[in-house]
Amino acid sequence: MNLKKILVCPDCDLVLDYSAPEPGQKLSCPRCKCTLSAPVEDSVEKTMALALTGLLLFPPAVFLPLLTLDVLGLESSGSIFSSARAMVESGYLFTGVAVFVTSMVVPFIKLLLLFIVSVQIRMSRSGKSTICMFRAYKRLDEWGMLEVYMIGILVTIIKLLHMAKIQYDVGFFCFIGLLSATLLSSFFLDEVFYWSRMEAQAGQYLSPEASSVGSPAAENGYGR
Amino acid sequence: MGAEKKAKGPITGMEAGLSVCHECRKVVPVHGENSQVRCPRCGSSMHFRKPESVTKSWALIITSLILLFPANFLPIMKVDYMGAAQYSTIMDGILYFFKEGSYGIGVVILVASVLVPVFKIVGIMMILLSIHFDIKSWLEHKTLMFRFIKFIGRWSMLDIFVIALLTGLVDFGFLSSIAAAPAAPFFCGVVISTMLAAEVFDTRLIWDAGGGKEDGEVDAGGSMDGQDDLDSGL
Repeated sequence: MNLKKILVCPDCDLVLDYSAPEPGQKLSCPRCKCTLSAPVEDSVEKTMALALTGLLLFPPAVFLPLLTLDVLGLESSGSIFSSARAMVESGYLFTGVAVFVTSMVVPFIKLLLLFIVSVQIRMSRSGKSTICMFRAYKRLDEWGMLEVYMIGILVTIIKLLHMAKIQYDVGFFCFIGLLSATLLSSFFLDEVFYWSRMEAQAGQYLSPEASSVGSPAAENGYGR
Repeated sequence: MGAEKKAKGPITGMEAGLSVCHECRKVVPVHGENSQVRCPRCGSSMHFRKPESVTKSWALIITSLILLFPANFLPIMKVDYMGAAQYSTIMDGILYFFKEGSYGIGVVILVASVLVPVFKIVGIMMILLSIHFDIKSWLEHKTLMFRFIKFIGRWSMLDIFVIALLTGLVDFGFLSSIAAAPAAPFFCGVVISTMLAAEVFDTRLIWDAGGGKEDGEVDAGGSMDGQDDLDSGL
């Protein structure tokens, strides 16, 4: 049994014959329709560039004011950071921290991890730590909620439209950029390719214990 | 289950002694059910099925069901206008938009903050019950529904983000200010626990219950779709 030619669907556990799809094609499970592999051309370079773009746009998008309200000459503006802080200061620690984590901390860490992982793969320097970082990225993936926040900004604007004059500030446009970069970076991320590159590059660093203790995999020489 | 193992249904990884890593999807041959195997590629611990996933899902779903009541019936937002505080629940906020004539945005908030949490809880409960009662039909639809639940999970945070933004933006001192109200942490709790319930659940259990009998004619081999079917990711 050649394990390189076999794929097991992670969603329904069906054993499948594997033939690598071309970029632009998509391999999906015939039983549960789970996407198994969807290669992207130059995935590492594209993802790296977009993650860097996101990282550069992050500070202005989060700390600069998004909108300025003007009610009868009184002005008030707020950023993503100040909104989360206002929530904590008004006594809602749990909710404020949840907003803080899902709109700032996780999106930033995700971009940072993706950038470091991509750079290390590009330079053929990925090791055990790269694998840990990529696992962390996958774990955090759905807890970064920038796109939900974007809809939140739109709802807020509509809510305030008739009671105040709204002025769009730099932070608003930076946020749109940050959101686009984040969404595209995960769109261009070819996970199957990333894992195979990391495995090939890290293979020499993996300690023998990691691949052999209690694991019959070593018997098949598949860890090598 | 054991008796019908040799039936004509498609072969699963568990039957073939092949375990697929939860994290990196590497296929590793594993002998025996209880062996503590770590993935040779990414180092995460491997299981044929996520351990205790049904129990954990139930616990989190019941938690979110309990939290759902305070989240919807307590006020979620406080508006101070000229010194007078006015509290509103999620439903009040939606009705406000409908009265104003902003039907589109009213529907968006209705869907994101009321329908999505209820649908998530009911949907996951239906899937869990169907596993308990070994229901062998609608396997593909249940998987599809689960994927949809996982996808919409995060969108319920919308209302919380709107309140956070309003708190930060509308701060005119005595004239007018907006703050969160007691339902907000409960609402956050509903979102987080339903997301976790979907996270710990193992979709393969849906197919185990069915024994892969629904469509026995599937030949092993991934189906390849063309360029225009590249709708993954986003």
